[in-house]
Amino acid sequence: MIAAPLVLYNEARKELLITWNYRANLIIELLTLAVLFIFISYFVGTGAIATQGLPAFLLGYLIWFYAAIAISSMSSNLLGEASVGTLEQLYMSPVPTWVLFLGRVIATFLKSTIMVVLVGVTLMLVLRINLPLEPAALPPFFLTMVGLFGFGYAIGGLTLMYKQISSVSNLVNNMLLFLNGALLPVQYFPEWLETTARMLPTTQGIIVLRRVVIDGASLSAVWEDGSMVFLAVQSVVFLMVGWVLFNVGERIAKRRGSLGQY
Amino acid sequence: MNAIELDGLSKTFRRRGSEPVHAVVDLSLSIPRGQIFGFLGPNGAGKTTTIKMMCGVVAPDSGGATLLGHDVRRDRAAAMRQIGVVLEGARTVYWRLSAMENLMYFGRLKGIRGKYLKPRGERLLKELDLWDRRNDDVREFSRGMQQKVAIAAALMSDPPIVLLDEPTLGLDVESARTVREWVSRLAKEENKTVLLTTHQLTMAQELCDRVAIINEGRLIADRTVGDLLSLFRRDYYRIRVGGQITGRVSLPEGLVIEEGEHETTISGDIAEQERLHEVLRFIREEGLPLLSVQRSEPSLEHIFVELLNEDRQ
Repeated sequence: MIAAPLVLYNEARKELLITWNYRANLIIELLTLAVLFIFISYFVGTGAIATQGLPAFLLGYLIWFYAAIAISSMSSNLLGEASVGTLEQLYMSPVPTWVLFLGRVIATFLKSTIMVVLVGVTLMLVLRINLPLEPAALPPFFLTMVGLFGFGYAIGGLTLMYKQISSVSNLVNNMLLFLNGALLPVQYFPEWLETTARMLPTTQGIIVLRRVVIDGASLSAVWEDGSMVFLAVQSVVFLMVGWVLFNVGERIAKRRGSLGQY
Repeated sequence: MNAIELDGLSKTFRRRGSEPVHAVVDLSLSIPRGQIFGFLGPNGAGKTTTIKMMCGVVAPDSGGATLLGHDVRRDRAAAMRQIGVVLEGARTVYWRLSAMENLMYFGRLKGIRGKYLKPRGERLLKELDLWDRRNDDVREFSRGMQQKVAIAAALMSDPPIVLLDEPTLGLDVESARTVREWVSRLAKEENKTVLLTTHQLTMAQELCDRVAIINEGRLIADRTVGDLLSLFRRDYYRIRVGGQITGRVSLPEGLVIEEGEHETTISGDIAEQERLHEVLRFIREEGLPLLSVQRSEPSLEHIFVELLNEDRQ
């Protein structure tokens, strides 16, 4: 049995090396995200940056950023690898594919964290946003990530089944920015939209994280009011559904012989 | 124990709105250790699908593959440890990584650890003349160099079985020669079992101990190269004469005449000495000077075409 840490290290190293190789693109991407945040802040503040709501917005925006990377890495990256043949090489490894893809998820998480920290710190310094580093935010943050990457697995499974899904994943990415409450808390949505939005990955995470980081609520408080319980259950459901869909996608791709095709 | 056992392997691809494609039909093969096995067939014959089923990236409809006793489906991890694979295509490694980084990545992917990883990578890069470019991105390499990196990546774990799908496709003469020499060395010096597909039949004839020919998913021949050649060995003659045939005398039937400006070639199967004498008599009566009489050996290419034609009929 190949040690899981070796696989994780291997995937993380490769991911970071390739990201570094595309550093010019990365810098442009980070700048775009920072500028987009400032533009949206102006837009929401009707021509002026309303400093009061910025910490809550930044928190939601950074979580959306994680979502964007997680979803694109499980769709367009997977598709890219399928079309050039490296995905098939991956499946020829003696490592169980779940370990391998867990390694990829962790590698993506590390890469996203570096990017989020760079954008987040820059925006906090430039716009003088005070986003307190709250240790109590870690459990809801990790639960949010579990649900998000579970959703990513589901997208990955669908990508293996239906190769031309990148437009759908782009749509999901863009929809999430408006629907997960990053821009506007979901409580302000019409009821039907709020219910729909709460079913999406990261929405509940943003709600709980804002309660803990911005409002200063304790973990026991968010547990007792049920919001943390809902986040935990939802994340586990996303993970399980994602897992099942990914395995189904993998089996179908092997049956169709399409692991190495676009 | 055989290195590779394929037992009744079948695969049909079904797509909505089109006829099912029977890519591989009830294919059984046993390949012993240390053999260079040529897997030949025209485009779309089922070669790549067979290799992919052996690697576990395409699921067969029925039948199975065993690699050194490990079933590819039931004992996937152990089976995968037995093989190094270079599939057809230009980009089976990461172009945005250097040659060395690729070897380190694929080595770890096969479970090779630190102590063995770097020396193995260094050795392979040196042997394949890539050492000086080890830190350059693969995307900057020529097609031949990229293929060498792909082969080196497949060999990182020093697997006993190597599967090469069109390893010399698109390579220049020199790179193709390096790959050929390497394949030969892998079997002869390192006792590896090599299964290779190629359209370059002269390469297959030169390298392979045994060849199988597959057409429309079905195996139509599986013999040692020597057996195939002797099976198809015929008394095939090429007779060159000076000048051109006048046609005053009729030539025995079944021979092909190619007329040039200054000489004519008469060729074909001449199984009996009596018939050969008849042809030579014809030449004398035509009054043409005899330049050469050559008995030709059949080539693997000739046999391949003949077998395919027979199968299609």
